[in-house]
Amino acid sequence: MQTPLSTSDAITVRDLRKTYRIREGGSWRGKTRDIVALDGISFSVPKGQIAGFIGPNGAGKSTAIKILSGILRPSSGEVQVNGLVPWTNRVAHVARIGVVFGQRTQLWWDLSVGEGLALLRDIYGVEPERFARNRARLADALDLGGIMDQSVRQLSLGQRMRAEIAASLIHDPDILILDEPTIGLDAPSKLAVRAFVHELCQDRGTTVLLTTHDMHDIEALAERVIVIGHGRILADSPFEDLRTTTLSERILELDFHDTPPELTLPAGASETAREPHSITITFDPRQIPAPALVAHVGHLPGLDDLRISRPSIDEIITRFYADHAA
Amino acid sequence: MSLRPYLTAFGLQWKIGLRYRIAVVAGLVAQMWFGAVTLMAYASVYHAAPDVQAPLSLRQAMTYTWIQQSLFTLLPLGCLPAIGDAARTGAIVYDLLRPVDMWNWWLSASLARLLGNAVPRAVLLACVAGPLAMLVGLGAWSLAPPASLISAILALVSITLGALLSATIVMGWNILTARTLSPLGSYAVGTPLAVLLSGMLLPLPLYPDWIRPFLLVQPFAGITDIPIRIYLGTPIPGGVATGLGLQIFWLAALTLLGRLWMRQTVNRLEVQGA
Repeated sequence: MQTPLSTSDAITVRDLRKTYRIREGGSWRGKTRDIVALDGISFSVPKGQIAGFIGPNGAGKSTAIKILSGILRPSSGEVQVNGLVPWTNRVAHVARIGVVFGQRTQLWWDLSVGEGLALLRDIYGVEPERFARNRARLADALDLGGIMDQSVRQLSLGQRMRAEIAASLIHDPDILILDEPTIGLDAPSKLAVRAFVHELCQDRGTTVLLTTHDMHDIEALAERVIVIGHGRILADSPFEDLRTTTLSERILELDFHDTPPELTLPAGASETAREPHSITITFDPRQIPAPALVAHVGHLPGLDDLRISRPSIDEIITRFYADHAA
Repeated sequence: MSLRPYLTAFGLQWKIGLRYRIAVVAGLVAQMWFGAVTLMAYASVYHAAPDVQAPLSLRQAMTYTWIQQSLFTLLPLGCLPAIGDAARTGAIVYDLLRPVDMWNWWLSASLARLLGNAVPRAVLLACVAGPLAMLVGLGAWSLAPPASLISAILALVSITLGALLSATIVMGWNILTARTLSPLGSYAVGTPLAVLLSGMLLPLPLYPDWIRPFLLVQPFAGITDIPIRIYLGTPIPGGVATGLGLQIFWLAALTLLGRLWMRQTVNRLEVQGA
């Protein structure tokens, strides 16, 4: 190791690389091919931050998450989580992190939620008083009171996910890794999960690393978003910055009670759609501020209504991936 | 290092093993049936050739069969079902996320599952094939008592080693399952090997002379064959000490190899997707 990695950060990653060797054709003598999943990524997450970790399928997110969790060994690079190297200090490392893989279950199908939590208490060696405290707190915050005695196989997806999150936190981990925690959940359950994670970070200073394909999770939770593609970091900034640099344009929609008139628009604005009773204008607010554009079109004959909107987060991300060929 | 996680894993699998009471009864009926058929076959073979000096007497062969049948679920027939399920669903990643020694964690679970399945069946079958059979006048077909008190004590020690050895072999199937992400291979390889080499199909002492030394020194003999020989008081080449020594040797050797294989597996385990 060269210069020691900073210890004030909860997670530090430096020049992390992982290459998978796969055998082609599946035969014994088949040729092998190397697939680069991570091609030198570096970032750090300070204590108590919620960092969103996003990227298209196959970008290398899962590989990075597995390395940070201590269940996969990188090809090269340095990682410290809570000052420990995950894959060399596996047991000490995993005792201090909590992980939720949204698509897998860590609770036991045959047991009730309460029995499962008690089992985790024994596995992590949580003292009885601390366990009772945490259990009560999590049951309250995640609304588990009614399902503590139900066996896991009987839970709905939303109930199960809340139980999974409780299971990942019963030992007070300093770092919580959430891999698609809202996948398949209905809107109220998603909101409940987001609110809980937000509180956890605020009240307890837990560091959260969140991967998701639901950009609303990112918008609601992450102070910062790390975008990964082709095994490299494409962006690492607050979400608003990503919006400004990727897709700063706004949309102005005009409704008319008759056929819309022909328009002459100022520089920076252009007509992008025309319907029998409406016109859509896309404009760059840096070239033509919204008030000026509204003033320009406000006097048009037959104008009923107008709306200004921003592109959705999904559109921004789609554009970002396209710009980076990710 | 705290023992608590391992006791917890043991307790959980023990409970799951006991949960399937109907399976215990069904298994008992099947094993009584197979036992009875085997006994009748032995009876006709032994009566057809009364002059042949067999390595086991008819009564010993019958007792051997009863004990084998009662311990069928102690054999390492495949991986621990929970690990098979976890490998298929990908939940096996969570096993790697627990702050425990993976070998001991899986071993305690595997041992508990074997015992949870085998102990109730063995006790029930022993009662039916032993005292109950004698009471109803089937004494000639019944499970004979141990050769002596010493034999009984040594057999108990030996079967304990046998259970540990079986759980260690199950660990091999568990690792195979983790590597292939499917439990099927472990059953395809494990079941025939265990049934054949443990003496379940035919008591190992009844095989031809030339193959018997090999059958005694292979690890599956240590699960049930050696304990049963000690129980019956039939001579083991080299004596009881050799029998127990072989069990301890295989236990140590397979633990060492298994731990190495496990470390190598954990390092390359790449769970799909996520």
